[in-house]
Amino acid sequence: MKKERSPKDRRLHPLAIRVMHWINAAAMMVMITSGWGIYNDDVIINGLHFPGYLRLGEWAAWSVNWHFAGMWFFGINGLIYLTYGVATGRLRERLLPIRPRDVVKTVVETLHFKIAHEDLTVYNAVQKLLYILVILASINQALTGLALWKPVQFSSLVSLFGGFQSVRVFHFAGMVVIVGFVIVHVLLAVLVPKTIWAMLAGGPRLEKRRSPQGASK
Amino acid sequence: MTKSPFRPDDAPDASVLDMHRTLIRTLERRGLLRAGLTLGSLVMLTGCDVKRPEAVEEALLAISNLNDRVQALLFDANKLAPTYPASMILRPPKFNAYYDVTDVKPVNGATWKLELGGLIQNKRPWTLQDLQALPQRSIVIKHICVEGWSYIGGWTGVPLRTFLERTGADLRAKYVAFQTADNYPSSIDMAAALHPQTVLALQYGGQPLADPFGFPVRLRTAVKLGYKNPKWITAIEVTNTYPGGFWESKGFPWFAGM
Amino acid sequence: MPHSIPIVVATAIMLAIAPACAQSPMPGGMPPPAGMSLAESTAMRFPQPVRAGDLAHRLILQPVESQIILGRVRSVVRNAQGDVSVVMNFGGFYGYGGRLIAVPIDAMVLLGDEMEVVAYTPKQLAAFATFTPDATTPVADDTILKVGLAKPSH
Repeated sequence: MKKERSPKDRRLHPLAIRVMHWINAAAMMVMITSGWGIYNDDVIINGLHFPGYLRLGEWAAWSVNWHFAGMWFFGINGLIYLTYGVATGRLRERLLPIRPRDVVKTVVETLHFKIAHEDLTVYNAVQKLLYILVILASINQALTGLALWKPVQFSSLVSLFGGFQSVRVFHFAGMVVIVGFVIVHVLLAVLVPKTIWAMLAGGPRLEKRRSPQGASK
Repeated sequence: MTKSPFRPDDAPDASVLDMHRTLIRTLERRGLLRAGLTLGSLVMLTGCDVKRPEAVEEALLAISNLNDRVQALLFDANKLAPTYPASMILRPPKFNAYYDVTDVKPVNGATWKLELGGLIQNKRPWTLQDLQALPQRSIVIKHICVEGWSYIGGWTGVPLRTFLERTGADLRAKYVAFQTADNYPSSIDMAAALHPQTVLALQYGGQPLADPFGFPVRLRTAVKLGYKNPKWITAIEVTNTYPGGFWESKGFPWFAGM
Repeated sequence: MPHSIPIVVATAIMLAIAPACAQSPMPGGMPPPAGMSLAESTAMRFPQPVRAGDLAHRLILQPVESQIILGRVRSVVRNAQGDVSVVMNFGGFYGYGGRLIAVPIDAMVLLGDEMEVVAYTPKQLAAFATFTPDATTPVADDTILKVGLAKPSH
């Protein structure tokens, strides 16, 4: 039975978002695991070394090549995502506002293992914070990555981060934030499998455009 | 010799990869499509031992070639790398090569000659004294290795531009290639060769280069990663034919611009 | 207990990542060949002039790919025989804490602005006596020493 779609009929995750999400997921995995291969040749945290089975690229040259190939997918996809998110108002609608008491409430609920995702269309305050954090970390990766790739052409960007070695630390820290996010994100998705299905099939229909204020209950 | 990921034990024959490289340039479109597929499918395998199937390797090299061109576009010939006061020079500099320091074979400066080849009018070989007689330039710049480490070094020598002009090199040629006493062929694009912070370095920190750092002559350029700075140079060639390089033939990007 | 699922999954992830913190077995800056004196092995490593004062506070690493920190340079001393040693703190964490030991400078190499102990394993260093300044004289900062080199350990 095919339901007639009105032009205003929206899915939780429009097709464009779903495509971008999975391109980003693949690109992130490539960037992270090839980055670990590059990291190993001159560690940032002495003693921390990534074993071969976690690295993409058989040795440094191929990790570098993976990284500099993945960057286009990560960077261009990310730019389109941010442009789309700002232009359609999706980012504002989903991620704002964040109220401190909502954050506290969600943390308390989570500590009691009440991970309720009855309504997938509404992000709780901690989710919003995490999504904003990972977007900022991704922007950090793009900027520090650009500075590391072209430290002379973008020497002012390097200075902004406090010098070449300090850019490396920021780039590494951004990776840590993203990996931390991915672990929580995947864990929660596995615990509430309908979220995965929603990111594949589109999820529930949204009847009307909610006001940005209506995002939190 | 120690085992190193920088030195794969199953290093492919350089000539084969160099051959592939030219072939790949004609296959770029196909390569990009393949990369699109493999990026997705290989992600599922990152936990496993990812081998380098031919198609993946070719796709990655095709993108790397594309990146080389993007980097050439991003390169600003007038943009100078940051310089530092002489007090910040690390003495001695950091040693690196594709072998350990115990395998360094010093070059005899008295009998050393710099051979010239390719699109250069006056191919008369140069002695160390000849080079010392040319105008010198000192630069204190950061050496950045593709591995991630860096240090500030102070180099004095003949600007490569001056040398190329004096010898009547074709400055519109694409590449400047180097041969070295340690069998470390290398090459850079002409734009980088003509950059004011690219020198044929004869001194470090005001002293003649020490043996492990490339005596009598090495390249130091502020606009390329460390592996584009061959030491113990024995020959320079100006050419329009892609010359490749030691690490480039093993998979590293050729342009490696900063 | 269904609520234990997140804990189990988190633990599994931690276990999967844990080996990343383990040390690589890759050999690094090679130890001197058997039977060779420390001075002879340094001579093979193209010893370069370095100002004693410039060595102060440098990190001292183990020659392994993961660049494990053994300690930091605290001072440089000379004994009655004229042999130069680097006094380092050893056995601490990340270059902090630990006790002082004196390691012959010929057992070490320069690695950019860091140093490595190539002639002794951490186990051997642990057997070193705690350093006492008796019978040694500090080496003046402006003294030029000659120290061997090594390429990065991987």
